[in-house]
Amino acid sequence: MKIVVYACAVAALVAVHTTVLPYVSVWGVKPDIGLVAVCLIGLLSGELEGLVVGLFVGWAMSLFSATDLAASMVAKGSVGFLAGLAGRQVAQVTPLVLVSGLVVASTLSSLMTIWSLKPNDQQDIWWMIRTILMPQACFDAVVGGLCYWLIWSRLNLDRLAEGREF
Amino acid sequence: MRMANFRSSYGARRLALGVFLSVLLGFFLLPHQLQTLFQEIGGPVGWVLSWPIRLVASVQGGIGETWSHYVALQDVDDENRQLRKELELLQGQNSQLREAASATERLTALLEFKAQALPTMIAAQVIGRDTGNWYRTILLNKGSTDGIQADMGVVTSAGVVGRVVKTTMATAVVLLVSDPNNAIAGLIQRTRDEGIVEGTTPGLARLKYIPLLSNVRAGDRVVTSGLVGGFPRGLAIGTITTIGKEEGALFQSAELRPEVDVNRVEEVLVIQSPYIPGEDGKSDGPLPKAKP
Repeated sequence: MKIVVYACAVAALVAVHTTVLPYVSVWGVKPDIGLVAVCLIGLLSGELEGLVVGLFVGWAMSLFSATDLAASMVAKGSVGFLAGLAGRQVAQVTPLVLVSGLVVASTLSSLMTIWSLKPNDQQDIWWMIRTILMPQACFDAVVGGLCYWLIWSRLNLDRLAEGREF
Repeated sequence: MRMANFRSSYGARRLALGVFLSVLLGFFLLPHQLQTLFQEIGGPVGWVLSWPIRLVASVQGGIGETWSHYVALQDVDDENRQLRKELELLQGQNSQLREAASATERLTALLEFKAQALPTMIAAQVIGRDTGNWYRTILLNKGSTDGIQADMGVVTSAGVVGRVVKTTMATAVVLLVSDPNNAIAGLIQRTRDEGIVEGTTPGLARLKYIPLLSNVRAGDRVVTSGLVGGFPRGLAIGTITTIGKEEGALFQSAELRPEVDVNRVEEVLVIQSPYIPGEDGKSDGPLPKAKP
C-alpha cells in the first residue's frame, strides 16, 4: 500500500514540477519539492524509506530533465538517507530544525549538481551559487516549512494516525 | 511538534547503509553501464509518468485558454496571436530567402547548382519545462516511439530552438539554444564566417571562434552552418548585438539575441533527418550523430 502511495506521490510531484512550478518561479528559480518530500520522508520514516524514495524521485525527475541521472539519483538518495540519520538524532522535529535541515540539504544537493556540471571558470560557479543555489535553498526551506505547518498543524495527521477525532 | 523517527530497526538501518553504499559504488565503478540500464528502464517508466504530465498540462492549457479567450481581452489576444504567427513566419521566410539569395549568388558564379533536400520533420507540442533549475530545457509530447532520438535538432518557423538530449517512450527533453551546455555550429550570413553558438548564463547566446580578420558587426544574422549536428544549413539562430574583442585573443566572439523566444514556444518541429547536398547534387543521407 505504501509503495502505491509513494508511486502516486512521485508521479504527481513530477507532473507539478514540469508543468506548474515554472509559473510560480521567483527570479527564474523554482523550489525543488522532490527534495523537500524526500527530506520529510527520511526524517519521519527512517533512512531506508528516505533512501529508496530519494533514489526513485531522483531517477524519475532526471527522465524529464537534462540533469545527469547518476548525480540526480545520488543527490536525492543521499538527502533521504541523511535525513533519516538526522531524524534519530533529534528528539522532536520543530519548524526551526526542519527549515535549517532543508537549507543544508538543498545546499549540499546543489553543490553536488554544480560539481557534476563541471563549470569552466570561477565566474560561472559564483553565478550559479548566487542566482540558483542560494535562492533555491531559501525557497526549499520556506516550502518545506509551509508543508510541515499545513500537514501537522492544520490537518492534524498525528491525531488521525492515533484514531482520534478532529 | 512531531516526534522524530526512532522506529527504524537496526536491520533496516544496516540495509539502508548497504543499499546506499552499493549505489554509490555502482555509479563510481560502472557509471556508463548503470546510466544506460536506468535510461533503458526509464523508457516505459517515462511513458507511465508522462500521462499525469499530459493531464496537468492539458488542464493548465484549458484554464489558460479560457482565461485568454473569455476573461482577458478576446479580440486583442486573437489579433496579437495572429500577428505573432505571421511575424514568425515572415522572419523564417526572410532568413531562408536571404540564405537562398546568398547561396544562389555563390552557386551561379560557379555555374553549378546543388539542390538542398528538405529535412523530414516531426511536429510536437511543448508540455513542460525542466524539473530542475540547472538546465534550460523544454519537454515535448513525442518520444522514441515517434522516431525522436537524442541529438536531433528542434526548430520553429522562426528559427532554431535547441537540441534533443534525452528521450523516453512518450517524451523528449530539448536543451534550449540559450543553455550554456548547448553548442551549435553557426555561420554569419553576411560574412560567411563560421563559429560555435553557445548559450550564456543570463539566457542569451554567444558566437565563439570568429576569425580576427572577420568584419562582423552588430545586426548581422547568424544561421546554422549545417556542418555538424542535427540542423541543415540556413536556419536562423539569432542576431548579433555586440562584438567582443579581447587583447591578445586568437578569436573574437559576439553576443547574440536568439531569434526564437524560447520562453513562449508552444509548438516545435523536430528535424528527423537533416540532409546535406553531396558533390553530385544528391542527398548524402543523415548527418553523423554528434558525440556527447
